[in-house]
Amino acid sequence: MRILLLALLATLALQAQPRVQSFVLPNGLRVFHLEDHEHPLVRVRLQLDLKPTDTPTGLEGLSALALQMFQEPGSGEAKADDFDLLLEGSGIQFTREATPTGLEWGVVARSRDQDRALGLLAENLLRTVFDPAMLWRQAAACWRDQEQLGAPPQARLRRALAMAPGERPTLASLSAITLEDLIAFRGRVLRPERAVLVLHGDLGLEQAKRLVLLNLGSWVGSPLPPDKGAPRPPAAQEEHLNIPAPGTSLTLLAVTSPPPDLAPEVIALLDLLVPGDPLLPPVRATLEGYGLVVALEPGSDTTAPRALAILQGRLAALRQRGYTQVELERARSAWLARRSLDCLHPEALLAAALAEARGRGATSGPMQALTLEALNAGLRAWLDPHRLRTGAAGTPEILTQLAPQQPPTK
Amino acid sequence: MRLLVPILVTALGLQAQVPRLTEVQERRLSNGTRVLLVQRRELTAFHATLVFRGGRAEEPTALAGATDLLARALYGATWPEDVEPGKAKSGLDALLKQEEGLQEAVRLERLRLRRDAASSQLPALEASLASLQGRLQTQFSASPLADLYTARGGRQRAEATADALMASSELPLESFDFWCRTEAQRLRTLQLSRFSGARAALSTELQRRGTQGMAMLRGAALPGHPYGRDLADHLSALEALRWSDLRSYAHRALSPDRLTLILIGGLGPEQALPTLERHFGALPVSPDSEEALLPEIPADLGDRRVQVTLGGEPHLLTGWRLPARSHRDHLALRLGAQLLGGGQTSRLQTRLVRQKALAREVTLQMDLPGSHLPGLLAVDLKPAVGHSLAELENALQNEILRLQQEPIPQEEWARAITMLEADYLRTLDDPAALARALGRAWAEGGDWRLLELDVQRLRTLAPEGVQAAARAWLKPSHRTTALLEPSATAGLDPLEAELAKVLNALAASRIQDLAQREHLVKEGLRQLRMLSPEERRRTLSLLAAQLGPVKP
Repeated sequence: MRILLLALLATLALQAQPRVQSFVLPNGLRVFHLEDHEHPLVRVRLQLDLKPTDTPTGLEGLSALALQMFQEPGSGEAKADDFDLLLEGSGIQFTREATPTGLEWGVVARSRDQDRALGLLAENLLRTVFDPAMLWRQAAACWRDQEQLGAPPQARLRRALAMAPGERPTLASLSAITLEDLIAFRGRVLRPERAVLVLHGDLGLEQAKRLVLLNLGSWVGSPLPPDKGAPRPPAAQEEHLNIPAPGTSLTLLAVTSPPPDLAPEVIALLDLLVPGDPLLPPVRATLEGYGLVVALEPGSDTTAPRALAILQGRLAALRQRGYTQVELERARSAWLARRSLDCLHPEALLAAALAEARGRGATSGPMQALTLEALNAGLRAWLDPHRLRTGAAGTPEILTQLAPQQPPTK
Repeated sequence: MRLLVPILVTALGLQAQVPRLTEVQERRLSNGTRVLLVQRRELTAFHATLVFRGGRAEEPTALAGATDLLARALYGATWPEDVEPGKAKSGLDALLKQEEGLQEAVRLERLRLRRDAASSQLPALEASLASLQGRLQTQFSASPLADLYTARGGRQRAEATADALMASSELPLESFDFWCRTEAQRLRTLQLSRFSGARAALSTELQRRGTQGMAMLRGAALPGHPYGRDLADHLSALEALRWSDLRSYAHRALSPDRLTLILIGGLGPEQALPTLERHFGALPVSPDSEEALLPEIPADLGDRRVQVTLGGEPHLLTGWRLPARSHRDHLALRLGAQLLGGGQTSRLQTRLVRQKALAREVTLQMDLPGSHLPGLLAVDLKPAVGHSLAELENALQNEILRLQQEPIPQEEWARAITMLEADYLRTLDDPAALARALGRAWAEGGDWRLLELDVQRLRTLAPEGVQAAARAWLKPSHRTTALLEPSATAGLDPLEAELAKVLNALAASRIQDLAQREHLVKEGLRQLRMLSPEERRRTLSLLAAQLGPVKP
């Protein structure tokens, strides 16, 4: 009976969403299409996955810098203005984002401007010429962005912990990147067979095929260049990251990325269960794009080592306790019901389609088959103290109390 | 006849360019609650936003922070004990009342201790409070999915703005009845069981955030006005705000006649309205829910300048007092703001960042902090390396003069309008954004139709109209300039830095005008430098004792 009810919920949730149709271009580009004529808008998202070997050791920040360089069309200011003039003259929203796991381009355009929008995306994506004069400027911009200069220390800490210590761009690693590195990265990563494209909105399937073929059909990956340097060693565990900021109250943060083999269904359920767990307060937990972020902002009467012990203790307690069958069932039915909310957010529909295309989307079959043991094993793996990256922001005096050799709670 | 044809063609052209909001249906419930219903049949979920007119600007000074607290304690989550009738209600009420009494006793004892540290009941009071809070915890649901909306796959969020409190929920369609019942019960009960936690979190957040540039600019540009108030300056009032005070305030501020309910989803009026009437229509109207009378502030206050040392990077903040959203010049100024700072091809971005490389970053905000009353057009400029704030100030002024005096090129004009129209289209496509925009148009402009009317009127504006509005409003007598320099306390000895902090905190609690406050603190520090270190230390203790329980 329960299974029937869950299946019914899943069916209802899926009915609300536009049907996903897919096709593959001869160059290997996988395209997913969601037709929706409610408003004269078209949304496009293109995603490229990054592998650990894509960024040679010593060149951390290469992907972010490459993305910055795509912003520069190749020959100075006038061209950069032209690109933006074309975008904004048609009211097109164009975004680029580099995350620890991939590169992403997003476009939202009125449906009458869809040809121009796809054309501009292709122009940006297939650019082969980089302006050497821009390299230092964009490297500096990347570094400023990574360091979040001018942002509150808590934001800087969050940004720093989002990446594993060995993968964080530094001024030295960004300065070491040459044009040849960028071109090699481009050849290695910007390949149609590594990309997934999702189109959503006011265009039919045939129109979508024509549009994609016309603009991205000529995208061909160049011969694969040899990898530079040795393969990236596994990131070492960072002891503790401190961001001193005079006049700032103490903030403690722990970030843990999901283990690579963790099932998306487990991640989806833990996203529902962990943030509201009554074991956690005063510690707060949220699931961000790059992992679970756990924060504690202790009062002035709590010492820094004590606060760190509280944070680690709460996580250890949660890890040891795990969840019950009743909690699993409630989370499962909440997840199924929540899927119907995607129809309220066009961007969520695109994200879901992309996740599914990359095999990272939670689906109802495996969700219904998920056992309590698998859920709790996933929780234990994710909260493994050795996976935690911890850090603190506060006054230099407070931070000295946090001995860097603080052992992780077992 | 010859005249009629171009008019008809223009009208048809306008209709084709801007999608209409004909899908919004407006209804009134029997108690005066306004309902805006947008039916989208293909959706199997719904988005609902409750918009309570008023917001931070209407809070009495003694209740500063009340709207933010309601956003957190009332609408931050949906706990069973807050919305399920008969769930140990009387016991919970009694405990919350006791908690309120003990918290007040602890607060007063801490204040007393600052003056007389001889004998203290504080440890005993704190122990009683901790024990009571332990008992209170046992009344709360302890489960990872205790939140009723999360357990049903839903989401909720609430936002306190200068002009409104907005609480949004999203749930699957089959939970609509449940949502109506829950929301009506939430408003009927006003339980606020997590009040003390929410107040502590807000207070901590404000202390951690410290003083912000934009808040400084608001304070200096709108002195003595609710729009110029910075909650961080009212921490003592926030600490003293009690559970029962907030409940009484909520009874008045969240009365159904101040509410517009916006519903977007696969529900038609025939399905939704009877249920809405049964639950929301039955809520009683508060007899004290009349509009607050807010002070008027003249736009022509004179050119004001503040030099502030906040630490961090230098910024130039400039604000011009603007008319309210209902004013006929408001839309022209919005278009002017788009020309100046909307997008990568805007004038400030193109000329100050790309061409002259004077600025590293440009941010422009219209209607800061709201637009029900006259607010600000604020420009935040961060200088590029090697350039001063004075250079930026000159360059910004040149751009304002250009906007006022030089003809606007046709291509640039068309681009600005296209960008605003495309924004509008994206808003229509996203239920949460649409609900927010409708709610803002109603709370700020008095009519939700402004959302659509503004976009239609864009095409009827002429460049000369925008220039005239810029000349009328973006003039020096409407302007406030804040120069944010890196911290002045960086070079000070620790004692002087501490004195500056205490003086700033004291001045913030007594003087609203930022320029006057800044002057007073500087003068105070100058005089204190004449004392010996020992005397200065004693003065610091005396001054610190005058502060509330919150540390500066």
